[in-house]
Amino acid sequence: MSDVIPQIDESTRQRLIGRYTTVDGNMLRRLTAAGLAWLRTNQQLVNSLNVFPVPDGDTGTNMVLTMQSAMDETSKETNRSIGQVAHSIAHGALMGARGNSGVILSQIWRGFSRMLDDLEMMDVESMAAALSEARETAYKGVVRPVEGTILTVTKDIADEAEKAVKNGTHSAYELLERIVVAADESVQRTPELLPVLKEAGVVDSGGMGLFLILEGMLRAVYSLPLDQPVIGVQPLSALNLDNASEAIEPGQDWEVVIDFHPEPALDIQDFYNHLETLGTSIQVGEGDGIMRMHIHVPDKTEYEPIEYVKTLGTITNVAIENLMAQMAEQSSKQALDGIQLETIQAGDIATVAVAPGIGIARVFASLGVSSIVEGGQTMNPSTQEILNAFENLPTDKVIILPNNKNVVLAAKQVIGLTVKQVAVIPSVSVPQGISALFAFNKEGDFNQTVEAMTAALDDVQCIEITTATRSVEIDGVQVQEGQIIALLNGRLAVSGDDIEQVAKDVLALAKAGEMELITFYYGADLNARHANEIADDIRQIYSDQEIEVVEGRQPHYQIIMSIE
Amino acid sequence: MTGETTYLGRITIAPKAIATIASQAALQSYGVVGMASKNFVDGIANVIARDPRHGVDVNAYEDHMSIDLYVIVEYGTRISSVAGSVANAVRFQVERAIGMPVSAVNVHVQDLRVSDTD
Repeated sequence: MSDVIPQIDESTRQRLIGRYTTVDGNMLRRLTAAGLAWLRTNQQLVNSLNVFPVPDGDTGTNMVLTMQSAMDETSKETNRSIGQVAHSIAHGALMGARGNSGVILSQIWRGFSRMLDDLEMMDVESMAAALSEARETAYKGVVRPVEGTILTVTKDIADEAEKAVKNGTHSAYELLERIVVAADESVQRTPELLPVLKEAGVVDSGGMGLFLILEGMLRAVYSLPLDQPVIGVQPLSALNLDNASEAIEPGQDWEVVIDFHPEPALDIQDFYNHLETLGTSIQVGEGDGIMRMHIHVPDKTEYEPIEYVKTLGTITNVAIENLMAQMAEQSSKQALDGIQLETIQAGDIATVAVAPGIGIARVFASLGVSSIVEGGQTMNPSTQEILNAFENLPTDKVIILPNNKNVVLAAKQVIGLTVKQVAVIPSVSVPQGISALFAFNKEGDFNQTVEAMTAALDDVQCIEITTATRSVEIDGVQVQEGQIIALLNGRLAVSGDDIEQVAKDVLALAKAGEMELITFYYGADLNARHANEIADDIRQIYSDQEIEVVEGRQPHYQIIMSIE
Repeated sequence: MTGETTYLGRITIAPKAIATIASQAALQSYGVVGMASKNFVDGIANVIARDPRHGVDVNAYEDHMSIDLYVIVEYGTRISSVAGSVANAVRFQVERAIGMPVSAVNVHVQDLRVSDTD
């Protein structure tokens, strides 16, 4: 049996089979809540599987929001019949369907509920029939179904359910177990059916989302926790330790990597559980009889993982690195390597942008900037640094985007120091700079381009969130030192103790509900998970707006937002 | 005709070619069950266009284009989400194939197809 099913003893199994032969509305509601919780826990995992660069939002987030709407709807439902509960879930999923995967998910629920219409309880026959109807309904929604997606997984679980009932499965619990295994296998097969997945080395994100919902239901039956993400052993080649060191937080002072031969065979769950007591960023790989583990641990405990692994087998290799020293080195190097800047030819217009963080520099580069100067609020670049950034470019037409009001002046002084034709677009924030770049055309007429870019500055509103460095009262807003403050278009607008609340308040003030796109650049002081949590909360409020989350890595400002 | 001039000569792409890409992308989008002929007044009994390209209007300008899509959507899906996904998919596929920015994709839902009522 697949490893998604935990090992349980036969008597427990028999008890579960007897206890859950049928499912009523209340049970379905509880199972759905569990499916949602488990999906939410693994939301970022699903998001990370997106291979299509279509700006359709993230699959994991879309499916969570769709299921959340389903859950909200059914929690209002007081009827206990399975038909009523299933219908309210389907209705909620329809109302909240977000993105492609959300629409398909809502169709699956719609088909599923149709078969249960007037039923009080669901037995295995009606469950299999409902799943078949879910499959039919899902496939009716598209003329050219693409296999290797959530549709295929839906088909495979419906087929499995029909087969199981024919073979005499008579308990809903047992059927769920078989469905979860079938879903897992189906998801693992998706790269064979859809080449684009194979190229990217991932499984289908929507299919994975559906599997997680079903697995969450099964986990609830086993009373397994739903708030810790999936763990698993990867092949050694897939172990990406370079990326793992990117998200370093306080308390992760040492990186320890140990290779060992486990003797006897390892219980992975126990192994993980113990590692979690030692540190974070845990990864385990396996290949050719060797296991490799990777962990981040706090200072003074860097030898503990070694002592622990010694008890599990023979250690063949150990590597310990001081992450804090590494981080200090990295940030002092001002690493702009790896950013692909726009190459220009004589006669083209070149743009120079001042960027406060590596992530923002990447965004600028992707929009056609030819040169980046690092700097911002507390590290204003000098006139000379800006000049150096473009003196060697093979063109004599240059546009500068200072992106900070303290830099505008230094940038303007450049005009008198060069023979090149230079214009400064007075952008006072990163969002303004980005907005201006959308009007940039390197082959265009110089004056027209400058005019268009300057006009584009006002297309966007800018929010900056930071920590107050002193107590002050400006424009009627009281601020204590250390509080979180938000500036709207450069003016102090909101203060508070909770970053999430401040973000919500300032968005309300900016009338974000009347806009279309909110882009959220999170800074070096905010970790990715926290940033995504805040963004998800904002998504709940502004469900009609597109919300994009970008790693800006700017210092001092936890969040910079553009609203347009 | 959409085109660009290279040092070897000129490349032109007919709106019909772009319409083919757009209609294929639309038909692969979940929730879209057909393209509609944009001329309803033709009095055709069946709104579903026989050639899917009839449901696409391409307007090419100097350096960008806009696309109008006339689609039929499955009853029971959330139409705004379906339309949003179609617009994204069409813009992505056309820009990838043609290499010219698509400034707008307007999705016109002309009819719904009812497979099942609830």
